[in-house]
Amino acid sequence: MANLKEVVKGEEVTLEIEPGMDILEVNKQLAQKNMQLLREHNVKAIDIMGSIGAGKTSLIEKLVQALKQKYRIAVFKGDLTTTIDAEQIGRHGVQVLTINTGRECHLDANVVARAVERISLEDIDLLFIENVGNLICPAEFPLGTEKRVVVVSVTEGPYMVVKHPFTFMTADVMVINKKDLAEIMKIDTEQLKKQVKEIKPDVKVAVTNALSGEGVEELIKALEL
Amino acid sequence: MHELSMTTQIVDSVLEEAKKQDAKKVTEVHLVIGKLTFLGIEQVRFSYNILVEDTIMKGSKLIIEEQDGTIECPSCGYKGSLQFEDDPAYHVPIPTLRCPKCGKAAKIVEGNECTIRSIRMLK
Repeated sequence: MANLKEVVKGEEVTLEIEPGMDILEVNKQLAQKNMQLLREHNVKAIDIMGSIGAGKTSLIEKLVQALKQKYRIAVFKGDLTTTIDAEQIGRHGVQVLTINTGRECHLDANVVARAVERISLEDIDLLFIENVGNLICPAEFPLGTEKRVVVVSVTEGPYMVVKHPFTFMTADVMVINKKDLAEIMKIDTEQLKKQVKEIKPDVKVAVTNALSGEGVEELIKALEL
Repeated sequence: MHELSMTTQIVDSVLEEAKKQDAKKVTEVHLVIGKLTFLGIEQVRFSYNILVEDTIMKGSKLIIEEQDGTIECPSCGYKGSLQFEDDPAYHVPIPTLRCPKCGKAAKIVEGNECTIRSIRMLK
């Protein structure tokens, strides 16, 4: 409860209140609720973050292909606009729900809660949530997933990890995608691995090529699926 | 990057509080923003000044206190400030969640908040 203090000075009454209200905490609490609901229904949810063009959608497509016999899967696709990506994943016969944020640079626990209401949790065991393409903002807004994955691709340059330490602090798994281009881009993936382990010692790393599917098994293992 | 939407929530919350107290004017808002958040102080100020126009918060003083990050290590029990990786190439030392005592993974306990600490208003 807010503390109240009233000060009377002449004619003027000043009121000081201490709401102690954490604006970010509101999202965290909603995320906690999402997690509870998903756990009650034995749904494992995974948040996939990363820059625009890092390969999040292609990776999810490969994960869906590899796992759809084992799990009943649904995918939430966060995007500012369009359903292009939803169609790319939807053709594999899994439920895809697009969350168009319009302007917002990240998904938050509230929009995810609303999306969860629109799917039947009894009919799925695994939920991939592809966040809006952005390596910064989504990190601040947990959604209530079991795991958070950050996808970086070698074409984004050698400093993705050190430039975004706060994002990697929230990651359980890092994917280094487009490994086939590492040599051309002169990127040492071992160096990226070392940097992320400095920031988050218990992070798991998978190196992939989301187009060919190389490394996707490694990622599935890292996700404990 | 999302300072405008965050500040909108802050201003809305303050206005709601002021309405509850039947205040005529809000004179001061004191925020605590963690250094491990993605909120830029300058951008929060900028958004605040725009958002309070035409409200009873216009002209109010905005105090922003920055909160340092604190981590806690579940392995060895260390609680304190974060360790920083320094490399001349990075320009700015980068914070890490590696426990400075035992090297294992630590957790953030302070520094990722955005709290309205207090509001001053005239009745």
